[in-house]
Amino acid sequence: MITLPEHSIVISPVGTSDSELFEPISMGIKRIFGYKTEVIPFFKDVSFALDPKRKQYHSTPILEKLEKAAPVRAIKVIGITSVDLFIPILTHVYGEAQIGGAACIISTHRLAEGLFLAADKDTYYKRVAKEVVHELGHTFKLRHCKDNACIMHYCRSIKDVDRKSKQLCRYCKTLLEDEMKRIAVSSELIADSS
Amino acid sequence: MSSTKIFIVDDELVMRKSLSGWLERDGYEVDTAESGEEAIEKLKKTRFDLLLVDIKMEGISGLDVLKHVRENDPDVAVVMITAYGSIPTAIEAMKNGAHDYLLKPFDPDKLGVLIEKIVEQQAQARENLFLKEQYKDRTRFESMIGQSKPMQEVFDLIQDVSPMDSTVLITGETGTGKGLAAKAIHTNSPRSEGPFVLVNCGAIPEHLMESELFAHQKGAFTDAKETKKGRLELAHDGTLFLDEIGEISMRMQIDLLRVLEDRVFYRVGGTQPMEVDFRVVAATNRNLEKAIKNEIFREDLYYRLNVIAFQMPPLRERKEDIPLLAEHFLRRFSQETNKPVDKISRAAIDEMMLYEWPGNVRELENAIERAVVVGKEREIRPADLPFRRSDDPTFIPKNALKDIEKTHIEKILDNYQWNIAKSSKMLGIDRTTLYSKIKRYNIKKPD
Repeated sequence: MITLPEHSIVISPVGTSDSELFEPISMGIKRIFGYKTEVIPFFKDVSFALDPKRKQYHSTPILEKLEKAAPVRAIKVIGITSVDLFIPILTHVYGEAQIGGAACIISTHRLAEGLFLAADKDTYYKRVAKEVVHELGHTFKLRHCKDNACIMHYCRSIKDVDRKSKQLCRYCKTLLEDEMKRIAVSSELIADSS
Repeated sequence: MSSTKIFIVDDELVMRKSLSGWLERDGYEVDTAESGEEAIEKLKKTRFDLLLVDIKMEGISGLDVLKHVRENDPDVAVVMITAYGSIPTAIEAMKNGAHDYLLKPFDPDKLGVLIEKIVEQQAQARENLFLKEQYKDRTRFESMIGQSKPMQEVFDLIQDVSPMDSTVLITGETGTGKGLAAKAIHTNSPRSEGPFVLVNCGAIPEHLMESELFAHQKGAFTDAKETKKGRLELAHDGTLFLDEIGEISMRMQIDLLRVLEDRVFYRVGGTQPMEVDFRVVAATNRNLEKAIKNEIFREDLYYRLNVIAFQMPPLRERKEDIPLLAEHFLRRFSQETNKPVDKISRAAIDEMMLYEWPGNVRELENAIERAVVVGKEREIRPADLPFRRSDDPTFIPKNALKDIEKTHIEKILDNYQWNIAKSSKMLGIDRTTLYSKIKRYNIKKPD
């Protein structure tokens, strides 16, 4: 996997989020994308995204704010929040990402479903780490994958999240490698021209 | 990912944005329109597989858009988007041909399941059509026909490339005969004794493509009761024709590239490498260079395929072949239908010469078939031809075209001092046709 050594993937807690999550998230990111990670909180208040009627938070403006706040060295930024997210056309979303963009976000709000957290933290962390890799995958231009074992598979239920592996299938792996190569080449071109 | 095109029509920007973002992550190609008017304009230029249409819009409503689609392209699925208060209208829309309706805001799971179901149904319909076409090809296969310069160039190219073993990429509009050209390359090649195996990449549903191409080992998945040979194996020692290669999914592009590079593949569920030896001919009506830019076609696969490339000319650029083709189809269909139609009237030929044939030779073939079936006389007349009428917005007025043709012929004749041999050569038509045009347009030789 070709990575840019001076860059990192930034994990940014948005509003409230459990700091214990950062370690498994970071490991998941390093395993799939090969980038080092940094935890940088940019903003705590997400009231600007609250829809009082729905009592949920619109993920798109949060994404836009995250993208603006991220430092230049951040190749991607992932927001982690415990609030319930939505996009206007859908009842809820587990997360949102800009395809090929810089920012994505996940909500842990519905990821503890069916778990007694004190006893089953491991499953919960695995779910969160999978969703983080999934959303970051979109920022590297990966689409949803038909293979239900691939981490890019779109899960219809939390059971499906548990069932899918923490790996990319060979197709998505190739597509990710292509995209990382493309990023490396274009950053070389930018460096050469400056 | 095999480019299912979804069109969102909604007057609220936030709805369009959130829905298109969601669908793009699912791998669909998405376009949007903010009004019924804009939607109808876009629908005239682009074909979509599925429309998601908001019922309530200012001006042209969602129901009007649905009506337009039903009248112009009944195969396109339309799902209405509605708020709680408009459910009766949504039900009315379903009576008028909408596939389903979704209540805003909708559950992402329901949306996903609904779209997958529609895409699957459409893929199934395409496959059925493909199987019918395949049957037609088996029963009606014939050699390519054409005396025009562009077709003579194609014949020369086929003759040149056939003996080589290089990969060939044939481009050209739908209905120009790319499949016939591929078959001709195979027939004239040293592999002609081997099989000619067709894979229609646009017709096989994505979930079946892997096992269709690469075969599967018994037990590879639930329905794999027997080991089945794939089309790559079947093409061994022969030619593998990848039709509509521009429609192949990104996943299959990865696998195909590997096979083309190594000539080795694995059956689904298998561990033994299988060696294959075949020549590849691929065809597409897509602009693959544009597809590469849009990141829906792999550049490395394109260069693997684009070793020798040529383009099939559209029928409008070889109009002098129309009478020949029409006569050929007439003979075939009158025999097949056992109807005593044996002539095409001069006026009908003239109509055909003036028409632009967007569907190319296939459209001409269908037009003659229809004319033979519905015609009441022994002769095909203009009224038997299924051309679009002048109330069609895409119709080009007859007189305008005739005027252009007349002026052009006058100019050429003038340039060559009325030397008929030279003028007809320059116009790309034979002398007889030129004489008949001079007569028809009443072109007078200057004193």
